[in-house]
Amino acid sequence: MFIRNKNVGDVMLDLGRFPVVTEDIILKEALEKMDKFRLGVACVVSSNNQLLGIITDGDIRRKLLTMQKPLVAFFIDDAINQSIKTPVIVTSSMGLIDAIEIMENQQVWDLPVVDNGELVGLLHLHSATKALLLG
Amino acid sequence: MGSKIISIGYGNVKKVELGATLPLVFFGGPCAIETKDHALFMADAIGEICQNLNVPWVYKSCYDKDCRSAPDSFHGTGIDEGLKILANVRDEFGIPVMSDFSDASWAAATGEVCDMVQVPAYLCRQTSILRAAAETGRPVHLKKGQYMSPWNMKNSVRKLEAYGCDSIILADRGTFLGYSMLVNDMTSFPIMQKTGYPVCFDATHSIQLPTSMGNISGGQREFIPYLVRAAAGCGINALFMEVHDNPKAALSDANTVLDLKYLENVLHQAKIVHETRLELLDKFGEGNVHPE
Repeated sequence: MFIRNKNVGDVMLDLGRFPVVTEDIILKEALEKMDKFRLGVACVVSSNNQLLGIITDGDIRRKLLTMQKPLVAFFIDDAINQSIKTPVIVTSSMGLIDAIEIMENQQVWDLPVVDNGELVGLLHLHSATKALLLG
Repeated sequence: MGSKIISIGYGNVKKVELGATLPLVFFGGPCAIETKDHALFMADAIGEICQNLNVPWVYKSCYDKDCRSAPDSFHGTGIDEGLKILANVRDEFGIPVMSDFSDASWAAATGEVCDMVQVPAYLCRQTSILRAAAETGRPVHLKKGQYMSPWNMKNSVRKLEAYGCDSIILADRGTFLGYSMLVNDMTSFPIMQKTGYPVCFDATHSIQLPTSMGNISGGQREFIPYLVRAAAGCGINALFMEVHDNPKAALSDANTVLDLKYLENVLHQAKIVHETRLELLDKFGEGNVHPE
């Protein structure tokens, strides 16, 4: 399949292959999950898998540099409180090239893939570039 | 700040609701149950004051004081006699009652009689105690340990929730155990409210000077009104004070209990500050100054 014919859904990471946490999880647990998957992003979802926000390494790094409270208080805060509530998202039917352009324009490595409000996957820059290289 | 509404009271007692923007609730009574007559006298006297001020309240008194500094200090009536007396108070006045418990095996019996069970501050991290409290099915008054930060109380809340409890009130009773002095951090109230549950200020234990007199604890009762006004201004949902008609003769915490003759004064001030705070919230909002 030519790259121009590929959609986000063809190369995205499916559920179970990237960190997804529920809204009652504390930040420490979300970071541990990100570490386990070796990805710099975690998606926060409701009980019916609606995307509520995302947490990224970069956002946490910036917060650590400006935070005025003890680290333990930061760790124990609800992950949802420390998430970006309106992340840039794509759908699984979006063309891969268009999604990569969004990554370039927004300077992001990861795009949650949301169909009808429900989180279905994650487009990661590595899998997107791999698809590009393989043509 | 929003919090869950907690309902206290089963059966025929007058139910007490607290949380969110509901009126301030009072938890009070003698530290330890002394005799049946004294318990009934105190319930009657406090009830009259609360009725005059229109303050909903829960009678609190404990049957076993397991954290006394000396082995020969009054330990309490014991669970059987104490719970009978609490049941008498409940039946006589139609008010909810509360006691703490220091041993997990006492929880079920405590929950059978009491409308709310209390987890002592010393034991607020103990999984067996928290599990036993949750399994009573009653609302849990969870004291913040003097050694705990307010944000770390979330771990205790999560334990209670894990064992099925969703009616929790978190209380501050001062911080810095071990140096014969307690300090109140008023930011503990909005921080603990972030758990989503109502918060309470334990005024009479906060002015305690733990074991400052060698084998008993001292106290600085004169600071009670100052701390109560500050806590009411910081958004507490309930105020806790141990009260005695003759503090010098009290069998437990004689140096910290509030003299009954001052209860109306202090409670009235707390109510006014609480109501004023709600008016200010209506006018100016909260959480909109340097929000996170």
